Amino acid sequence: MLRKHRLIPYGLVGPYLLHFALFVAFPVLFSLVLVFHRWNIIGSMEFVGLANFNRLLHDRLFFRALYNTLIFLLIHIPLQIVVALFFAELLNRRIRLRGLFRGAYFLPVVVSGVVVTILWQQLYGFDTGLLNRVLVKLGLPRLGWLVDPRLAMPSLALMATWKNVGLYIVLFLVGLQSVPRHLYEAAELEGATRWQQFRYITLPLINPTLFMVVVLSTIGGFSLFIEPYVMTGGGPLNSTLSAMLYIYREAFTFYHMGYAATLGFFFAAIILLVVALQRRFVEREVHL
Amino acid sequence: MNGKPKTCCSFPYGAGKPLWPAVLLALLVWLAGCSSHGRKRSGALLYWSSNNPYEIEFARRMVAEWNARHPEALVVHQPVPEGQSSEEVILAAVVGRTTPDIYSNMWQGEVEAYARAGALVPLDTIPGFLDSLYARCDSSVIGEVTATDGHIYQVPWKINPIMMAVNLRIFREAGVRQIPRTYSQYLAAARKIQRDRDGDGYVDRWIGYSEVKVEWWQRLFDFYPLYLAASGGMPLVQGRRVVFDNRPAREVFRFLRALYAGNYFPRERLSARQNPFLAGVIATRITGPWSIQEFERFKPPGFQYRFVPLPVPDDHRGPVYTYCDPKNIVLFSTCRRPEAAWRFVAFLISRRNDRVFLEMTNQLPRRKNLFQDPLFAPIFEQRPALQPFARQARYVRGTDASPVLKEVFDAISQQYEAAVVYRVSPVERAIKEAAQRVQLLIQ
Repeated sequence: MLRKHRLIPYGLVGPYLLHFALFVAFPVLFSLVLVFHRWNIIGSMEFVGLANFNRLLHDRLFFRALYNTLIFLLIHIPLQIVVALFFAELLNRRIRLRGLFRGAYFLPVVVSGVVVTILWQQLYGFDTGLLNRVLVKLGLPRLGWLVDPRLAMPSLALMATWKNVGLYIVLFLVGLQSVPRHLYEAAELEGATRWQQFRYITLPLINPTLFMVVVLSTIGGFSLFIEPYVMTGGGPLNSTLSAMLYIYREAFTFYHMGYAATLGFFFAAIILLVVALQRRFVEREVHL
Repeated sequence: MNGKPKTCCSFPYGAGKPLWPAVLLALLVWLAGCSSHGRKRSGALLYWSSNNPYEIEFARRMVAEWNARHPEALVVHQPVPEGQSSEEVILAAVVGRTTPDIYSNMWQGEVEAYARAGALVPLDTIPGFLDSLYARCDSSVIGEVTATDGHIYQVPWKINPIMMAVNLRIFREAGVRQIPRTYSQYLAAARKIQRDRDGDGYVDRWIGYSEVKVEWWQRLFDFYPLYLAASGGMPLVQGRRVVFDNRPAREVFRFLRALYAGNYFPRERLSARQNPFLAGVIATRITGPWSIQEFERFKPPGFQYRFVPLPVPDDHRGPVYTYCDPKNIVLFSTCRRPEAAWRFVAFLISRRNDRVFLEMTNQLPRRKNLFQDPLFAPIFEQRPALQPFARQARYVRGTDASPVLKEVFDAISQQYEAAVVYRVSPVERAIKEAAQRVQLLIQ
């Protein structure tokens, strides 16, 4: 009987473990093997030692893709935080139709990424896009949202922010609601302005949420794929070629599986490093 | 221009999930393979056709006729399983070793890689194959389908020549009397056709359009057919040698660059909305005979169009070649009875059945003197829209036999965007750099 009871937990975690072993552990280990091989899926594997690393070090396009991803992050993360915090602050107040607004802001999060990108492709259209029509109505020149190499990545960042901001609004709302009201009352009695209350009470106390939002949007930003894949194909002039899109192309367009695995591990190491750095700096902020 | 949108989904931006469709596809193909193994055990040959409804109907009819006459070599037909593309399905089947015995929709450009991986039967080792091939095709086609190891792994079967569709009404209204045949004529017509129709200060009618997305296969429908036209059908690579660092390639780049520079081609993607050719937004479109059906179905009242050969350099002499998007028949090495399978294929591609194929599918069989052959002539008389393609069929090329063909087109595509669409790189340097990259890959 006791023995049977001992087996039940294993039975419960078994399906997950099986899934984990098949779809997470095995692919990761297999990718590690691929790093030292050349393999096009249909042929046999050829051991190439460190040749894939050597190629990586001389691959200008991959470093361009990394640079593009960094640019995306630099625009997307601050924009995401500022916009999400702004709306969370508003939605935390007693306003009419608050529930409706909360639902409306969250709606893009649950809409399919492909649908969103196709929708924004129409908005960004040079000739017939809604945004340019508004600009023309205002007497301003049209912008090449997706065809101007300088504008294409900021345009994608703007769209990604619109798509995901609802999720971060919810996270910030949870954080804001956990700040004790009496701290604000005490600050008001001391003559603190609204900005001072926000800077010295709200920000430090929602710092764990802020850290989570930074980490989540960093990881999300690093995996930028669907927007350039559907909207720009990485162009114009490789200005929206993200690291993930480049890895995907190497793997599933050209079947350079060994090289794609090498890029994947290198990229994962960079993400780990950036998240570790963020953790160090943002956590220090908590204790100010 | 001929884009088949490929989409993936993800959390939160999409990088994670592309594996899932692949896993599902592999499962699907594996399941299809399970049922096919059952059929294989019964001794029947498994034949996958394209999943185009006309071709399915043709395949069913052929298989029924064959089985009635050949009970000793029964064939089971199945359309290629659904997937993002038939190429992906075949890849999954090769990896999972669930390939059919016979497949009749293999893109010529993929054959070399599969042959090198040992996934295909060298057909020239089967008695009677070469005689049949020489009767069907001329030497240039045979040269084209011969792999780099000297064997032949594919039967040239059907083609869709790429030509230029012209909106005759726009040309007439713009005062262009002659359909352009050369680059100068095309550019002159482009100047007359370009319009700002709504008076907002921006051009909204162009002479043509080419997909600006940097995807290797898009160049099969703009640069490559124009290159074949300009060069008289020269290859891009020949064995281990890069050929395209030449005058025709530079001329094609210069021509297309002039079209973008003059805003005669838009840089914006027009593929995500109503067909711009039918909407009168562009006056010409480089496309294949598959567009006829769409044009006929959706054309507005009074819309008139014609298919003509692609424009060529002003000093061009001789026939105008083009790309023919060839799809061929292969036998996979999982086939246990290749000779029986070949007998079925020989039946499928017989002169009589090629005529049935043309009649049922409106696609051209790849056989010599098609337009002159009296057996096919009545069909072309009945269907005048097919005549330009049948005439063009004499002067077509497929793809070069190269295991790095996708990379070749990708190298050209990268430079195409820089030198042609955005003009940030000189044409000479762009072609040279693409050629150097390909040469490195080949070596």
